[in-house]
Amino acid sequence: MLWVDKYRPKTLDHVMVHQDIAQNLKKLVTEQDCPHLLFYGPPGSGKKTLIMALIRQMFGPSAEKVKVENKTWKVDAGSRTLDIELTTLSSTNHVELSPSDAGFQDRYVVQEIIKEIAKNRPIDTKGKRGFKVLVLNEVDKLSREAQHSLRRTMEKYSAYCRLILCCNSSSKVTEAIRSRCLNVRINAPTDEEIVKVLEFIGNKEGLQLPSGFAARIADKSNRSLRRAILSFETCRVQQYPLTSKQVIPPMDWEEYIAEIASDVMKEQSPKRLFQVRGKLYELLINCIPPEIILKRLLYELLKKLDAELKHEVCHWAAYYEHRMCLGQKAIFHIEAFVAKFMSIYKSFLIATFG
Amino acid sequence: MGKRNDIVVLSSDGEDDDCSVSSSNRSYSKPKSRSLVTRSNPRGAKKPRLSGSRSHLSKESSNADEIRFFCEDFDEVFNGFKVSAGFGGSNTKGLWVDKYNPRSLEELAVHKKKVEEVKVWFEERLRSSKAELSNVLVITGQTGVGKSATIHAIASHLGASVCEWSTPTPIIWQEHLHNSSTGINYTSKLDEFENFVERIRKYGLNLSSSTEESKSATVLLIDDLPVLNGKVSFQRLQNCLHLLVQSTRIPTTILLTDYSKTDSADHTGRCLEELQLCLESAGACKVAFNPITNNAIKKTLSRICRQEKCNATAEQIDLIAKVSGGDIRQAITSLQFFCLKPDSMHSLSLRDTTTTYSREKPDEVSSMDDGFPLQFGRDETLSLFHALGKFLHNKRDSENAMALDQDEFPLQQRLLRLPLKMDAPEKILCQAHGQARPIADFLHENVLDFLSEDAIDDAWAVASYLGDADMLISTFRGMLARYNEAENVLQSAAASVAVRGVLFGNAHPLPSRWHAIRRPKLWQIEQSSLRNKNEMVKRRFNGYSRPSFSNFSVVTMEYTPVFKWLGQGISGGLETHQVLTQCNETNDNFDKMSLDDKESESTDDEIEDW
Repeated sequence: MLWVDKYRPKTLDHVMVHQDIAQNLKKLVTEQDCPHLLFYGPPGSGKKTLIMALIRQMFGPSAEKVKVENKTWKVDAGSRTLDIELTTLSSTNHVELSPSDAGFQDRYVVQEIIKEIAKNRPIDTKGKRGFKVLVLNEVDKLSREAQHSLRRTMEKYSAYCRLILCCNSSSKVTEAIRSRCLNVRINAPTDEEIVKVLEFIGNKEGLQLPSGFAARIADKSNRSLRRAILSFETCRVQQYPLTSKQVIPPMDWEEYIAEIASDVMKEQSPKRLFQVRGKLYELLINCIPPEIILKRLLYELLKKLDAELKHEVCHWAAYYEHRMCLGQKAIFHIEAFVAKFMSIYKSFLIATFG
Repeated sequence: MGKRNDIVVLSSDGEDDDCSVSSSNRSYSKPKSRSLVTRSNPRGAKKPRLSGSRSHLSKESSNADEIRFFCEDFDEVFNGFKVSAGFGGSNTKGLWVDKYNPRSLEELAVHKKKVEEVKVWFEERLRSSKAELSNVLVITGQTGVGKSATIHAIASHLGASVCEWSTPTPIIWQEHLHNSSTGINYTSKLDEFENFVERIRKYGLNLSSSTEESKSATVLLIDDLPVLNGKVSFQRLQNCLHLLVQSTRIPTTILLTDYSKTDSADHTGRCLEELQLCLESAGACKVAFNPITNNAIKKTLSRICRQEKCNATAEQIDLIAKVSGGDIRQAITSLQFFCLKPDSMHSLSLRDTTTTYSREKPDEVSSMDDGFPLQFGRDETLSLFHALGKFLHNKRDSENAMALDQDEFPLQQRLLRLPLKMDAPEKILCQAHGQARPIADFLHENVLDFLSEDAIDDAWAVASYLGDADMLISTFRGMLARYNEAENVLQSAAASVAVRGVLFGNAHPLPSRWHAIRRPKLWQIEQSSLRNKNEMVKRRFNGYSRPSFSNFSVVTMEYTPVFKWLGQGISGGLETHQVLTQCNETNDNFDKMSLDDKESESTDDEIEDW
């Protein structure tokens, strides 16, 4: 088991990073009925941890007995029946699923499957019908239609079940849904908090942490706790007596993008553009999200760039990122950005060095 | 007079004989209501060119519109009108294709040698029906090279009667429902054909109806084979024909039409090829007809012109012949169509302005050059690759041609481009049946090869335009079907933007040299990325220790690289099982996880412990 999972706090009391939020949530469920919740925040900030702990708080340890179910749902969509394969993670009291897994059929998932799940309510010890919790992941990836029907579902079944929604960016969730939920923003942990967690884990594992090592990991982690812990574990595997000078292995795709960036800086020609395309394809094959590629590429380019060009390059990156969201084939737009950068950089070079 | 009118109006198959006898100089009267009006005075119809040439013109051109429409079934509809062909000089109506259907061997435009070959074959068979000679002849050739005409002409030359297999009328669905409710069983066309062939093989042609005819020789002609779909029916047809070849005693001709190679993706094309091979292997003779030569077509056309007294110039005939692509039926129809309208146009220009005509001659011809293929020629299709090649090579006129229209529209120097050396891109797209998405993909894949060495600005312009096209294509993605119309517009707009973007953006096209056009790698990338994604989604649950929904991007961006580090011994392949074992070994202080094959179960248990 990875350390990320091993040291994931199980209860709201054990949470180390967002203690204030955890306490508030605890108060919320113990004292009164809990509303629909929307958790949002950057990756690696602890949304999922909080949600799991919250469910445990509601239903006790039984909530941790989960089973994975891969089920094909038959959905009657007007003239035809659709088969939607979806994986769910469920205990007696809660069901967790990612509707966006169903791709463009996500609205059927939201409409039909959630309806069905919400109907099967568990009966608690006193013979009273309890309510069920539905955890929906990646709500921001849902299509507009799906979000729209989600709104209806929320209203219709609010007596029977509670929805806990989880996403990275609340701006991609419609206003209607946001207003029906209690919004909980989970910040990315600060470097100090990450260092604290890493030291805690190091203690538990009985490791000798050289001074400043944890801080370096935290620095490299982009304020993502998960990533910090993962790279901590990687370091531990690579070389045990940890030394303070030890290289923290970067993610391979990040290295790859850095390579692309230096390629772009070295030569600006259609031929080079073609080579860059090949490398971008490599990244896409490995399912690195195109937005991340573009963002990272910009970051790497900015590191090496003259200050006077930074503004313009950022502008174009934003421009093509926007178009990428509107379009279908990300490679067209990433490539256009690279070409634009090459064009800008080349004319800059000619202007400066003749 | 009134009686005649009635007959003309009823121009269905059954009435053909009557019709051709009674009104021999009028024939084609398919647009019924119209013919009633215009021919209320049948006397006047005899001299239409003299009296009301205007109305006559309009009427005829509307007839001409119909001609195309009826081309397919003119065989059936106009069978009866052949008698009227004798009236060569008068301006009778009717399709010239039928009117000048060759009746003697001399009239055939088919190459003499081929005709001779077929004729000899028939003579041999008819003289002595010896068993050892195979009695089946297969004639292949593209459409309109005179396959059927040859057979008919030869048969009449030899005094034999032609017995044709004609496909029974198709049964439409309602009819079928009606029939089945009344208890009539449905027999497919293939069944009927099989029955027919069976009969022929066993009993020969059934000629009991007319005893005198039985003395003259008979020739069997199978022109259209039943429509095939699926392997099973193809197999049946093949067997059936195979038997026919082996055992028939009547000279039989099977006509197979070659479809042009551009449609080779078509299934029937391949089927026919296979069929032909099978027939040959069964011992059938084969004669392949080539497309008719230009000269032969020209000869025929000018003969018709002479008989029709229409004044098409030699150049025009030449052009029609060239454009027809060896299809004489097409050529004759084109000629007829051409002779209808231009009576006013071209002959006018000939008569009145002979001097100006000669002066403008080069112009005229060039305008005909691009005017004709559209109006008269066979449909021109371009292969996708041909079109792409045009776009990518980006051929443009040389500098001096520019000077002419410079005063039209002031443009900045950097936006100026030389005029294109091709049709409008949209037209080419249309001919190539280009869909926006594949066009954009192909252009994206290949365009960088065609940019000059250091034209990175061009590369940017092209990439940006392709991005525009991509956005246009996906604007209505996922919308409902009712936006179909809008979607079509968007699609063509996107294709246009992509193509014109490439043409415009590539401001310094390379001198043309040979480039292979690659298939978009993007498709492959998308597929494998999807496969990877599915795999990872599946693995999300049985792989990592504790079942949880992590964001997909998190898996790819964070877990996967870490697993690569943790399981360095494993080269590349991320077998979860192995990875897990490896990381367990490294985490010594962690209890030995029971890593059975059923990983999900074991992890379930683990959760309770923790």
